[in-house]
Amino acid sequence: MDAVLQGFALIADPGNVALIFVGVLIGVVVGALPGLSSPMAVALLLPFTITLEPVPAIAMMASLYCAGTFGGSICAILINAPGAPPAVATAFDGYPMALRGEAGRALGIAAVSSISGGILSLFIFVLATPLLSKIATSFRPMEYFALAIFALSMLASISGMSPIRNLIAGAAGVLLGTVGIHLTTGVERFTFGYPALTGGIGFVPVLIGLFAVAELLNQSQAVDKAYERITATVVKLPTREDFRRIWGTILRSSGIGTFIGVLPAEGATVAAIMGYNEAKRWSKRKEEFGTGCPEGIAGPEAANNAATGGAMVPTLALGIPGSATTAVILAALIMHGFRPGPHLMKETPEFVYAIFAAMLLANFMFLGIGLAGAKIFSRITLIPRTFLWPGVFVFSLIGSYSYGASVYDVWVTLVAGVIGFVMLRHGFAPAPLVMGLILGKLVEESFSQSMIILDNHWWRMFESPVVDLFFLLAVLGLCWPFISSRFAGR
Amino acid sequence: MINRTDLVVGVILLAVCGWLYYVTASFDEVSPLFAQDMPPERFPRMLLWIIAGLSILLPFEQWLRKEKGKILDTKRKTPVRPIVYVTIGFLILAVLAIQLIGTFLVLIVVCIGLPLLWGERRWKIMVPFVVLFPAAVMVLFAHVLGVYFDPGVIGFKFP
Repeated sequence: MDAVLQGFALIADPGNVALIFVGVLIGVVVGALPGLSSPMAVALLLPFTITLEPVPAIAMMASLYCAGTFGGSICAILINAPGAPPAVATAFDGYPMALRGEAGRALGIAAVSSISGGILSLFIFVLATPLLSKIATSFRPMEYFALAIFALSMLASISGMSPIRNLIAGAAGVLLGTVGIHLTTGVERFTFGYPALTGGIGFVPVLIGLFAVAELLNQSQAVDKAYERITATVVKLPTREDFRRIWGTILRSSGIGTFIGVLPAEGATVAAIMGYNEAKRWSKRKEEFGTGCPEGIAGPEAANNAATGGAMVPTLALGIPGSATTAVILAALIMHGFRPGPHLMKETPEFVYAIFAAMLLANFMFLGIGLAGAKIFSRITLIPRTFLWPGVFVFSLIGSYSYGASVYDVWVTLVAGVIGFVMLRHGFAPAPLVMGLILGKLVEESFSQSMIILDNHWWRMFESPVVDLFFLLAVLGLCWPFISSRFAGR
Repeated sequence: MINRTDLVVGVILLAVCGWLYYVTASFDEVSPLFAQDMPPERFPRMLLWIIAGLSILLPFEQWLRKEKGKILDTKRKTPVRPIVYVTIGFLILAVLAIQLIGTFLVLIVVCIGLPLLWGERRWKIMVPFVVLFPAAVMVLFAHVLGVYFDPGVIGFKFP
């Protein structure tokens, strides 16, 4: 209990509250702008937070994550273009409702569903994180290795696009993590005689390149694209009738979203699509879906925001990112000298509760900001891309430079951006590569330690039931996209 | 059954894997006792085998995934527009220029050059953007956060 109070006290500092507010504001703006995403914004925020204390730094990022997920719904409803991928399903019913002249009602349902999903998942977060951490403290290197493999296998289903591409990108990320000096032997690997590479490739420049510069190059092909915007009137809170219709959907979607969020590598987008599908499946008015049905907005919005709280559970308790954005937050934790995983809860529980408090506060803040400022935020889409994206590049350049005060990091960002653009074009998502890069060290270290403990008899790993379970789940995770495609084809 | 573009991508990935595998052979040798039976090249090689194996499967993925596989070709159906190459070239020049003209001037050049390249001609918006935005960013990072920026060969520093 002391730790909980300490955590809340850390966040109660006026300076921290102000930073959380800034994080929420940036999150809603970024979420509302098509093309900009939460992982990109958190990656760009990373260099800025280097100078901050760890608590406000991570709290600000976590707040941005919550608000960014909600912000995406504004554009999904008003211009039929999801500001962020998790809002893709919100547009299915949000935009038709707005076309009917009920944009304010749609935004109100989205805001209330988002905050409900977010808060419910945060309570799961605060209950599950200590429990999961306790279980994970008994893990030996082989169990950790199996867990990391399970997390990487989940990349196969991170998006419906391509499991093979996701796995290649994940493995390439892990391989990228091997660049530099091998910790056990001190041998230089893939440095090509270049001294800057001996310390390895920094997370921050790669993250900025993959998320921001790659998207900039992508957007350079669509600078003349214009959106048709519906003018929002006043945002209306859901009526009693609306509440009666959506409360069941909110509860169900919050559960789905939290569960999907807790799964390593699965994020808010998957949760939102599942939330929408389940809302439709359980609805008595299936025929209304796609025409502006309130459940069609509540389902994905509750689910995608619930996934944010859920995704923090494996990130903090196990050191395994629950989504692309939490992968960046994990990198920030490492940068601030923390050891994400069970030790974080054991050694600094107040820090975990401070993040919980920050996210809780962020949920209330974005409700207020969303209700009061949706009309203003909808105008953000009017910012010409010809200024928006050069602005993003300026932040990318300065952000990557600030990381190590060297031009080398700017080059890494640029190269990562070009590679990211080519990857996106050929269906390789950047998120798996980032996850691989962040998990790389854990995978190699746990594998090496396991081999040393087991005297190189790798098959003895399977003597542990936990290892068996994780490997079984990994196999299922790998095969599922192909099995589901076969069933869908029949 | 085989997607030709994916076949090319797969072959390129295999070639990169082959080259990196060759590079692993050039890692310094350490005694097995010192390496504790985990030589530095073992783990990267395992990963390269995995990537190579998946690259072989890549051309068959669309066929394996039936209907869902068709989405994979949507983004690359249209050729890359020349503006992408021009933008990449401009960004490379901008980064090269950091060590010559310094970070602040590069930011100004980016704020003028990129919108112009992308067809922006609304000077009434451009002038305040070029004047205010780089200055605001530099104030935040150089003065508030205390980051030192390279003034370049010509030595122009942000005031």
